[in-house]
Order: sequence, then C-alpha cells, then structure tokens
Amino acid sequence: MDYVELLAPAGDLERLKIAYLYGADAVYCSGKKYGLRANASNFTMEELASATNYAHSLGKKIYVTVNILFHEEEVDGIDAYLKDLDKIGIDAVIASDILVMKKVQELNLSFEVHVSTQASILNSEAALFYKSLGAKRLVLAREAHLNDIKEIKKATNLDLECFIHGAMCTSFSGRCVLSNVCTNRDSNRGGCAQICRWTFGIEDVETPFSMTPKDLNLIEYISSMIDAGVNSFKVEGRMRGIYYIATVILVYRRVIDKILMHNLSNGEVQYYLDILNRVANRESTPQFIDKLPGSKEQYFLGRDEVSNQDFLGLVLQYDAKSKIATIEQRNYFKVGDVVEFFGPSIKTFTYKIEKIYDENGDTIGIANHPKMIIKLKVDTCLEKFDMMRIKVFDKQEYL
Amino acid sequence: MLVEEKKTSKSFLVVVTDEEFLKLKVKYINFLFPIKGLSVGFPKTFSLEEITEEHAYLYINRILDTQSLQNLKEVLLNIKDNIVGICFTDLGVLNVCKELGLSLELIYMQNHNTTNVYSINYYLEYVDSVLLSTDITREEIYTILDKSKKALVVPYFMLMDVMYSRRNLLSNFESEFGLPKKQEEVLHEEISNTDFLAVENEYGTVLYNKTFIDYRDIHLENIKYLFVNPLGLDKKTLEKVLAGEAVANISNTGFLDKKTYYRLKEE
Repeated sequence: MDYVELLAPAGDLERLKIAYLYGADAVYCSGKKYGLRANASNFTMEELASATNYAHSLGKKIYVTVNILFHEEEVDGIDAYLKDLDKIGIDAVIASDILVMKKVQELNLSFEVHVSTQASILNSEAALFYKSLGAKRLVLAREAHLNDIKEIKKATNLDLECFIHGAMCTSFSGRCVLSNVCTNRDSNRGGCAQICRWTFGIEDVETPFSMTPKDLNLIEYISSMIDAGVNSFKVEGRMRGIYYIATVILVYRRVIDKILMHNLSNGEVQYYLDILNRVANRESTPQFIDKLPGSKEQYFLGRDEVSNQDFLGLVLQYDAKSKIATIEQRNYFKVGDVVEFFGPSIKTFTYKIEKIYDENGDTIGIANHPKMIIKLKVDTCLEKFDMMRIKVFDKQEYL
Repeated sequence: MLVEEKKTSKSFLVVVTDEEFLKLKVKYINFLFPIKGLSVGFPKTFSLEEITEEHAYLYINRILDTQSLQNLKEVLLNIKDNIVGICFTDLGVLNVCKELGLSLELIYMQNHNTTNVYSINYYLEYVDSVLLSTDITREEIYTILDKSKKALVVPYFMLMDVMYSRRNLLSNFESEFGLPKKQEEVLHEEISNTDFLAVENEYGTVLYNKTFIDYRDIHLENIKYLFVNPLGLDKKTLEKVLAGEAVANISNTGFLDKKTYYRLKEE
C-alpha cells in the first residue's frame, strides 16, 4: 500500500496550526495572489515562509494553491512569485493553468506540481497528459467514480488526491462562469459569487429551479478509496473556522488510522458520520463515488443552513497541579450543562459543568460573552487547543 | 513568440445544431458535428454514419470518464476520410489520437482556460489550434492573436457556454416535483435579469447564456476559423449572421468590452 495523507485547508496561520495539531499530514493554503479564494485573508509571503518552517518542523507538508486561470494581466508576476515560493521551500503548488506547470519546469523549481481539481481529470489518458507535463500528483475531479480512480492509478502510478469532505460546485470545477455573467466577478480567478446556489425562474412553473448540490462526505468510502490507490484525502474549506477544521480533521484522522490498523467498526463510522453531520451547516452525501447523483443529492425548496453553536470554548491553558483549565468562550454555556472535551491527544470525554470561575476566580453562573476567559476545574488532563463542545452523541452507544 | 506567417481568414466553423444548416450555400464553411455519447449541450448529436459531409470535424466536448474512453476509441477507429479534424475539450483525446496514430487536425476547445497567450502557446505545442475563451476582452484577444504561434479559432457568433455539470439538473428538478420531462429549459435569474438555456443529455447539463455573443467586428488576423454555435438559430438567421448582416435583439458583445474582476477590495 502507498502512503496515505490527510490534507486540510487553512485560510490563515491559526487555522493551519490547528489543522496540523488535529492530525493533518499536510495543509493547502493560498498566497495573496493567484489563488481561487481571492477574498479570503490568505497568506503573505512572510506568513507562507513561517508556515512552511512550522510545517517542516513537525515533519509535515505544505502546498500552495496557484490555481487561477491566468489572464494577460496576471502573467507578468508569476515567475517571481514561483521563485519566491521555491526559496521558502514549500512542498508543492496546486495548479490548474498549464502556464504554471510549464513555468515550474522552465524555471527548474524544486517543488512538486499537483494538478488541481479545476483540470477536471476523470480518465487515464488525460492523467497521462498531465504526467507528461511533470505533474507528481493529480487532484481528481469530484465527479470521479471509484472505477475512474482505479484506472487512473493503474495507468499513471502518480499520487492521487481526492476531495472527501466539504462543499461542491454544481459544475465541474473550473467549467463555470455563471458568476462572471451575473455579477461580473470572475470565478476562475477567485471571485466566484456562487450563483449555482441561487434559484432561477422557469416560465409557467411555479416552483423555483434550483441546482445546489449537497456537500460531499466520503467517510464511508475511505477504505475503498485507499484500495483504489488514493494517496491524499482532502478536506475542502479554506474559509472555515477552527472548530470545523479541528472536528473534521480529527474525525478523518481517527478513521484513516483505524482503517490502516484494520480495526474500524461500522458503529464507529456511524458515530463519526453523526459528528461530521453535526458540525456542518449543510447536509452531505457521497455524491459521485459510487453512482451518478440524482435529486436526493441536491437541495431544492427550503434549504436549511444551520449556524452551528456547538463550539463552547477553546482551552488556552491547563494547570496539571490545580487541574484548572483556562478557556476562551466561543458560545453560551452555563452551570449544569453536560459538555465534552475533545482534542488531538486526549480521548473525548464527558464533563458536567459544576462551577464556572471568571478571570478573577469568582464564580459565575453563565458564560455568555464571546471570547470571555473563564476557568473550569477538570480532573482529566487537557492541553492547549483542546476544545469544549455541546455533548450530543455518546460514542459508547454506537459500539 | 511572434507568429511567422499571419494569415487573414474568414473560414467559418459552424456547429451543426440543425441539419438544415448543411444546406447553406456559404463559402468557406466547415461543419462541426456533436458526436453521440461524446458531446454535451446539444439536443442533436450524430453517429459517424450520419456524417456524410466532406471536410467535417467531430465535436467531442464531454469531460470523459473511464467508461467513455472506450467509446471514444471505438469512434476514432471508425473514422472515415471525410473527417478532417477533431475539436475536443478533454485532453485525454490527445493521447488517444496519438496512440491510434491518427493524423487528424486537432483543435482544443475548452472555453474557460484559454485566457492568455502563454498557456495558449503551450497548448499549441500539442495541437493545431485552440479556441479562444469567451471570458476575455477585446484587448486581450488582440494581444493573444498577435503573439500566438499558430492561427487560432475565435468566437464569432455563438451561445456562450457558462456552465457544464455532470449532473442531470433538469431531470433531477423534474423528478423532484413530478414535472414533465424536457431536454431544454430556459432559466431566468432575476437579480441580473439573465436568461440561461439549459440543455441536458444523459452525460450532463450545459447552461448557455441565452443571449448570443456577437464578435463579428473583431480584426481578422491570425485566425484559423471563426467559431459559430448557432444553437437556437434558424437557417435564415444563421445565413444573415455569416453574411455579416444585422440580426436584431438576440446578441450582445459579452465580455469583449467588459472586463471582469475578482477582488472585492484591494490589498
């Protein structure tokens, strides 16, 4: 079996660190230019350098998206940008424009080229074309079926990366300019206004037309995908917050590790699936991996996008002697609530809040101010960046 | 790289969206046939047997999955002498043609990633020509035509394809609400007041901006073909289009004179 990698998104340094901490083997992010999330905070070159050093100090990898489709006005700066990325030692760029792939060869740069999902690779012959351009890895189209993955692996023996979780385009990624037409914002240069999530009218039909897909969730297929030759399991969401990233990455970390150790039970899969469904604000399905999606994989009327308020607090510090955890509040909680703590190196455990202390050590009944600092006495040892959430599911009931 | 020999041309490459078009008596017209099982976005597709036109091109615009590769190979193995070229979207077609030893003219047609001359010149290392994107401005088109190392196919008068989904979006909607099945539908987006034509077959759904783009005033230099997708036009109107005559209220100039942006605020 080839190596298996869990690949996380990061919109900034904080999220990048959380992603690594919670089990990502690699992170993808964007610089200030040439990425498809033009309006996210993204990373300056200095931040990319710092992130690269941080990743490598952990023995992990960092990939930078250079995945816009270039117009003439963007081309001028690309050589210098790629050389800068090379200097700071990133591990790969994720590219969709042939320009970037060729430039990396011409400039003799040392990082790898990973072909973006924007290239819509679904067959072995297209994959071989990109291999001939020097690509080391292919990020397959989200429309790939397990059979496509197997055939592409067999024909190319390249590293294969697949999205396993998060939002999807209605279109093949990169094959849509609805945003350009409706808002004049260029989707293929990072300005997508997500028009495919709007509704449309049809003459003489009362019901509005909708084409919005539900999110992708392939937790039940990870094992089959490993067998098919997928090396890198990629989570979407560079705009997502730390709670989402921590939860999703930790779930997939646990699942992948258990698959590799041959001890993942069906009950655990169901438990993790429930955790994932709870943290997302939209429904998710496996989409294309085993069939052509139909109406059940789309939203029509009455799409619910729930704002998740499960994230109660971030552990800032834990004093093992006094057993006091210092916590930054993220959502309302109160004395009497039953919550749970989770983190990358602790076993998730249930905790009933008996007393809450404010920063001065005075007891309070509720924590209701965003980012207020409170203290709890917790007997089980915690670590910085562990998280406290509402307890909804009990793992024991699934086993 | 500057082109060594620039040529002026007014050869049309017209997608056969209506068999009536084959009767057109227009000089320098070449026909492009959407192929059964390998094309999306057209209500009518053709088998090789149905293509009897001389100097014809195949239009293979699907993103091909593993299953459809076999279909592609079967089609290409049975090509007759009247087929001179293939216009294609999936780069896998390149390798298959090479493997089969076919010496056909190859034109790369992926409407959204041919937006700068460097990328286009790289693609031209592998193909005979490339269709310019409809997502770029007049100024960008002229820069590209000036610096392209081979003559290019340029949008001339066409429905601009704005989205290609593998999903059967019309069928899914119709089945969800028990509506009668249609292969085409006009979708109205209210905020931008834009109509889109959705065309579905079993291989996916293509959305076109329902307003034709009319690039007929661009300078004809370093152009191999003028590309025409007349989906929805009748023969008489198409004749007018090709003759350079005015056609009222069905077209605009798309992004030719309208630059898109992507940053909501400058850093």
